[in-house]
Amino acid sequence: MSFKTKDVTLSDDRPKTLLLQKHSDYLAGYGLNKDDYEFCMTEYLRMSGIYWSLTAMELMDQSSRMPKDDIISFISSCQDNESGGISASNGHDPHMLYTLSAVQVLAMYDRLDAIDVEGVVRYVSSLQQEDGSFFGDMWGEVDTRFSFCAVMCLSLLQRLDAIDVNKAVDFVLSCMNFDGGFGSKPGSESHAGLIYCCVGTLSICKRMDALKAAELAWWLCERQLPSGGLNGRPEKLPDLCYSWWVMSSLSMLNRIHWVDKKNLEQYILACQDAETGGFSDRPGDITDPFHTLFGLAGLSLLGNTSIKRVNPTYCMPQETIDRLNLEPQILQI
Amino acid sequence: MHGRIKVRTTEEEKARKEKERQEKLKVFKHAMQKILYKRKQGEQDDEQLEITGKVLSSNPDIYTLWNIRREILILFSKTKNEEEMSKIYDTELNLTEYCLKINPKSYCSWHQREWVLTSRPNPDWKKELELCNTYLKYDERNFHTWDYRRFVVSQFKPPLQEEFDFTTEKLYDNFSNYSAWHYRSKMLVELYPDVKGGRPIQDNHHKHELKMVQSAAFTDPDDTSAWFYQRWLLGAVKVTIQLVSYTVTPLKTTLAWSRKVSNNYINSNVNIYFNNQLVEGKWIPCTGLEYDDLWIFEHNQEVSDNMDIKVEHGVGDEKQIINSEKYQPCTYVGKNKIFFKNQYSQPVIEELNEQLDSCRQLLALEPDNKWTLLTTTFFLYCIDANLYHKEIMVNLETLKDLDSQRAGYYSDLISKWSIEQQLPQDYNSNSLEYKISFSQKITSLPHLNYYSYCQVVDLSNQALTSRILPTLTKLQHCKVLNLSSNKINTLDGFPDIDLEELHLEDNIELDKMEVEVFKHKHKFMKIYF
Repeated sequence: MSFKTKDVTLSDDRPKTLLLQKHSDYLAGYGLNKDDYEFCMTEYLRMSGIYWSLTAMELMDQSSRMPKDDIISFISSCQDNESGGISASNGHDPHMLYTLSAVQVLAMYDRLDAIDVEGVVRYVSSLQQEDGSFFGDMWGEVDTRFSFCAVMCLSLLQRLDAIDVNKAVDFVLSCMNFDGGFGSKPGSESHAGLIYCCVGTLSICKRMDALKAAELAWWLCERQLPSGGLNGRPEKLPDLCYSWWVMSSLSMLNRIHWVDKKNLEQYILACQDAETGGFSDRPGDITDPFHTLFGLAGLSLLGNTSIKRVNPTYCMPQETIDRLNLEPQILQI
Repeated sequence: MHGRIKVRTTEEEKARKEKERQEKLKVFKHAMQKILYKRKQGEQDDEQLEITGKVLSSNPDIYTLWNIRREILILFSKTKNEEEMSKIYDTELNLTEYCLKINPKSYCSWHQREWVLTSRPNPDWKKELELCNTYLKYDERNFHTWDYRRFVVSQFKPPLQEEFDFTTEKLYDNFSNYSAWHYRSKMLVELYPDVKGGRPIQDNHHKHELKMVQSAAFTDPDDTSAWFYQRWLLGAVKVTIQLVSYTVTPLKTTLAWSRKVSNNYINSNVNIYFNNQLVEGKWIPCTGLEYDDLWIFEHNQEVSDNMDIKVEHGVGDEKQIINSEKYQPCTYVGKNKIFFKNQYSQPVIEELNEQLDSCRQLLALEPDNKWTLLTTTFFLYCIDANLYHKEIMVNLETLKDLDSQRAGYYSDLISKWSIEQQLPQDYNSNSLEYKISFSQKITSLPHLNYYSYCQVVDLSNQALTSRILPTLTKLQHCKVLNLSSNKINTLDGFPDIDLEELHLEDNIELDKMEVEVFKHKHKFMKIYF
């Protein structure tokens, strides 16, 4: 059996221009029908859903189409008084993932006053472990995603002092692999999504020096497939969200020019759905807000000027990061 | 939503499907309401386990439901006897197994399984390891299964060699199993470290792994998995921290390092002597970051002409003294013997040479195979970068065409390896000028801290973009900097360095207005544009 690279082909009828109006309409309409099956079944990640949609809208300068007041009061109602953490939705338990999403949304709205910030700080710092790692919630799952959530969340609140940053960095570094990449815990295989989390953590903690930058960036640029799309691990299919995980990491490593930008742009545009609006993981699949954000954010990193500049570490508009006076590290080369 | 293909359906079919979904939704909503109500009422009972179990069976990612189950199980464990609990735990394991069939990548289900096994007395780890074997047969790349396997191994503690052999077996099944190469890399350094030689891997094993990669890579050169492992093997050499050079002038004292070091490291391993007197001072990282490869030493000693200046660097008993030379009145530079060559053992070098021969043969048959050419080029670099420099450069130029998506990577590699070629020569002269003079235009500026001692730096006629501007902060002693005829399109990111002259001519994308504003801000600098 001869080896064949896993990839897709972009057929000629796929979109070749950016359909901003379609995407704005798609996101504005998403969730309006509270009995929509897909919408109801994803309640357990609602808070992140709001973050994906709002950030995408912000990048398109269309956030006025989002129900700001409803969103803010929803977030306030999801904070758990006791632990200080924030849940995905009413009736669900607080978790690091949704605490971060809530803080990101409020930071974009400049409405961090809508939650008990000290409560969030208490919650996040209580989840740090002796080895520097973070639990996702009280039930003890450890993952480098949660390390990133913790430092991002606290840096947005200007409260990184509440945790042991050196230990947090050491834990992330203990997850570094032979290829320079990172996985979800010590010993785990490199994966572009988790590489973004770990590089992002080091960017916020200003410890990018500890990376094996050249090896890692080479591995990342090798994610680009003949179709122009990027995969997340060797010998896997391309997926639009890796346009974000890989390209944001390469941006932090200051080596975005190691991939073919034109090619990637074609792939991202081909993942748009001209009928429904929104982006999907691969051309012709069903769209969703998650891929819509990462499609737009990816195009922003590639220099598309009809979208606002996105910050590669925070995946939020650069103007928000500037307003908060945050300066995540970009590696000098 | 991952991998869900949009299919065209008739209106009729659509309506039927929607009706079906609405019914499912009704059941789902009812169940969720009941669960939340019961939770509020504190009803932690079998019924709650049953309803949450039902919902999770089709939606294993609703994390809160797993939390509810754990709360109940903890409560049960306080009242029920061992036999009853054992049954309950078994049921829980069955549920997770069912959920993992629905979604093998469900974080929650995997975590629940871990939780059960660490909560119950006498878990059957052997069975769990077998479960991993089965799951890896369905999907040999599911990283959740591999992570779970590592968790089980950490508890069960089988001999490491058995796990190592497992990866061998997996790889001989299919070399395209990156997950197995990854796992192997972890065990290789644990099982066979070269403790005496300070290398990561013992010689004979290093050689054996290289051979294994070769057979994998030659089975199918387009399968990339083994190539990453090979690249790692080639870089698995002893690394040391070297003080590469230092510069002392009446204005500033700087030390350049081969790697980024911390204040702590310098404080404990460096001593500076002026006329045999130890100089006290404060260390400032040039970039302001915690770890840096160029440090500024602030001290109160006067720097006059004809001094004897030396720096002592060393860890433990291995001390090295680097003497300085006077390059100009009151300007002292100390340079170390520098090298960029990987230090391999003799058996590994022999193996590399053998593999180079095979690569060359393969290349003769398939001259357009990117991976064969890239590997050949890396072998050449690792065996003798000096001797093969020309061939390496030609190959990298070819690769820019052959693998055009990554042309930027090859261009930067050309820059890096060319600079590494020039640096040792420049370190043998005592000029304070740095001029780039290769046939290829450089696109990046690695190792710039090595040239921190230079007063005149000529980077003209290259292909440098504004991306490199922040790194110019390494030119702490530079007075004249020439960046003319490059691709600088903005001065955003230009560092705060005390230049007397800056040349920016023929950067066609650079905005005139921006340069004017820049000039205004740097009144003492002569700027040519």
